[in-house]
Amino acid sequence: MATTAPSATCALLSGDEAIARGAFEAGVRVATAYPGTPSTQILEAIIEESRSRGVEESKRPSDSSPIASSPLRLHAEWSPNEKVALEVGVGASLAGARALVSMKHVGLNVASDPLMTASYVGVRGGLVIVTADDPGMFSSQNEQDNRHYAPFAKVPMLEPADSQEAKDFTIAAFELSERFDTPVLLRITTRIAHSNSLVQLGERTEHEPSGFVCEPAKTVMVPGNARRRHELVEARTIALAKYAESSPLNRIEKGDPLIGVICSGVVYQYVKEARPKASFLKLGMTWPLPEKLIRRFAKSVEKLYVVEELDPYLEEQVRGMGIALAHKPTAPRTGELSPNAVARFLGSRKKPGRAPAQGLPPRPPALCPGCGHRALLTAVKRLKLFVSGDIGCYTLGVQPPLQTMDTCICMGASVSVAHGVEKATGRSDNMVAVIGDSTFVHSGITPLIDIVYNKGTSTVIILDNETTAMTGHQEHPATGKTAGREPTTRLSLEDLCRAIGVPHVSVVDPYDLKKTRELIKAAVDRDEPSVIIARRRCVLLDRDRLRHPYRVEAERCAGCGQCLSHGCPAIADVTPKGERKKQVRILPQLCASCGVCAAICPSNAIVATGVAGNE
Amino acid sequence: MSRACPERSRKVTNIAIAGVGGQGIVLASDVVAEAALCAGHQVKKNEVHGMAQRGGSVVSEIRFGDRIYSPLIPDGDVDVLVGLELLEALRHAHRLRPDGLIIADELRLQPAVRPPGAPEYPPDIVDRLRASAERVVIVPAAELAAEAGNARAANTVLIGVLSQHLDLPREAWHTALRSCLRPSLVEVNLKAFELGQRHV
Repeated sequence: MATTAPSATCALLSGDEAIARGAFEAGVRVATAYPGTPSTQILEAIIEESRSRGVEESKRPSDSSPIASSPLRLHAEWSPNEKVALEVGVGASLAGARALVSMKHVGLNVASDPLMTASYVGVRGGLVIVTADDPGMFSSQNEQDNRHYAPFAKVPMLEPADSQEAKDFTIAAFELSERFDTPVLLRITTRIAHSNSLVQLGERTEHEPSGFVCEPAKTVMVPGNARRRHELVEARTIALAKYAESSPLNRIEKGDPLIGVICSGVVYQYVKEARPKASFLKLGMTWPLPEKLIRRFAKSVEKLYVVEELDPYLEEQVRGMGIALAHKPTAPRTGELSPNAVARFLGSRKKPGRAPAQGLPPRPPALCPGCGHRALLTAVKRLKLFVSGDIGCYTLGVQPPLQTMDTCICMGASVSVAHGVEKATGRSDNMVAVIGDSTFVHSGITPLIDIVYNKGTSTVIILDNETTAMTGHQEHPATGKTAGREPTTRLSLEDLCRAIGVPHVSVVDPYDLKKTRELIKAAVDRDEPSVIIARRRCVLLDRDRLRHPYRVEAERCAGCGQCLSHGCPAIADVTPKGERKKQVRILPQLCASCGVCAAICPSNAIVATGVAGNE
Repeated sequence: MSRACPERSRKVTNIAIAGVGGQGIVLASDVVAEAALCAGHQVKKNEVHGMAQRGGSVVSEIRFGDRIYSPLIPDGDVDVLVGLELLEALRHAHRLRPDGLIIADELRLQPAVRPPGAPEYPPDIVDRLRASAERVVIVPAAELAAEAGNARAANTVLIGVLSQHLDLPREAWHTALRSCLRPSLVEVNLKAFELGQRHV
């Protein structure tokens, strides 16, 4: 949450909030995103900004007036996926509006198709694309270094080192975008996105969209046009490299001439912490690189280091210039850096700190008590099926004791991977694909079409919790609400699946364990594709639901421990040491009264207390 | 009432708040950051979002003073570690300065998931925590929070205890609580804060 300092022009903002603020001040007209940690709060903060400043949100097309006289000032949307988000941004830019598109690092893979050609097309209104990388994988499936996208797509890249820079660089990115006719990448990492520091606030400057102009040579990428645009792109990179030499985004901080460090982003802060007196070449623009500036800096110091997180992106380019570095190419390539890791890399002689306490049980994240995903996965587990998994809270089902997830690659892959397994093995009666509602809309629809089209027989279970839960409960097309929580046309998942041609579509409440199991069993045994929509609202959105905590009747309990097999945090194993017969207790303050444990218990020893009470 | 920072001449004060996702760690760190801000300090704060929040180990860090670079506190530089749960306090105890202080809730929460072969919750957790730092304060925070009117305000009780050890004016804490909390929760939390501040 943004907090405000006594001075009204200063606020303690996260990097995400600062980017939103920068875009707002830069007069952004269209902001699009798909939620993904650590980028989610950017669009959320833009929605907040527009609300608190009384900017009118866009109206639905059906009730808005023609574009020329429309009251649109700022439109913020959750797009179904990052590819769509970027394409909407491209459209807005070509209509002369400033547009901000934000996503997590893997989202840019999804959006890479429009990115590569948007680079050729260029912009009319500034187009800024935020990629939020996740070194250390706090909430991601890989830790790819998206700095490589800048030279790959031939677009400039800026990397802020704190929240003030996050705001300033966002504004600078819009200006660069328009000046050099190019989309601009703004690359941040988790520690920039989710660290707060003070930011000077400014006023919003409106940028009136010019409207769409017909100019096929620029905007229709058929080979003849694209060949000419590619030449312009190469010339643009040369012009940008020249700009980088004198850009205020890059700066030399003269310090101790014995040690010089080239760095960018949050790593600059770690090096400042470890070696405040060193000389610095702090790069705010990390593509294209200012070669002359780097050479000048290298000459001015005795020992030159490049300190960076993940890939040797800067290091390889500096070495490629024939500049000698004081270190071997051995910096850590995995995980995130820290002030301590940087101090070690720079040869700190400070004594290493104390070792962490040994023998502590880990505390991994877990599905919440009463989570519909747990109920569904419990039903799947009891059928002993191969589970083709996907990205969302339910991925936590891979952990013991549930252990009900066999693959997880990327958004939407559960459906297509299941199809691949079926085509390779010739059977689909031993497996299901599980995918969340938001993830299904993101990229599960096309592979479902593939199953139907190519005569597959797989079973797809859509875990519909009516929200995008893992990233903090964002709306999506199937919730029937916009990013700003206004009602809109709701995408019906069941109608969609039927329209695709899936012959068997059913909806079930996963709390009803028996019915859920029967439906899944029938579906996997069928020689036709099936979709089961397991619909149960996320418990975190359902806190006002009346609860009747369950309890264990000790005299009926056989001590089998089955109720512990689905990993509910509300069920505590209180078996005394040495005792073989399990003893359990249900913690009333955690119990969400879903009743799944009662359905599992073979001795009917778990009963509702009948004592209703909200938390 | 309020005592000086562990070492007032140092320019940066480092606070780490550790606990279990869902305990109100982000809110607690918002309050500390806001109070430092109200007192006129430079502030940096760092926290974890996303998957890790679902009942997992969570830590949030606040640094305030004249000039701060890294949003992460270097290991061995934590002045005060606030633990909303004993095991989570012990998990971060090694990051304290040699003369650092631990303020921990007496609460023990079993991890929701226990992977096969994982160690048990240490039965001697209090002894181990006391052995891990020179100064350890263990607080019956839920009890005090209940006394204030809401057992869920345990995080605010601990912030009250923390306030005894930081050189921030009382008014800054009150302003911070008012600006970080929903209006309906302000009274109960001010009371919880007072009980923490008076806790010996």
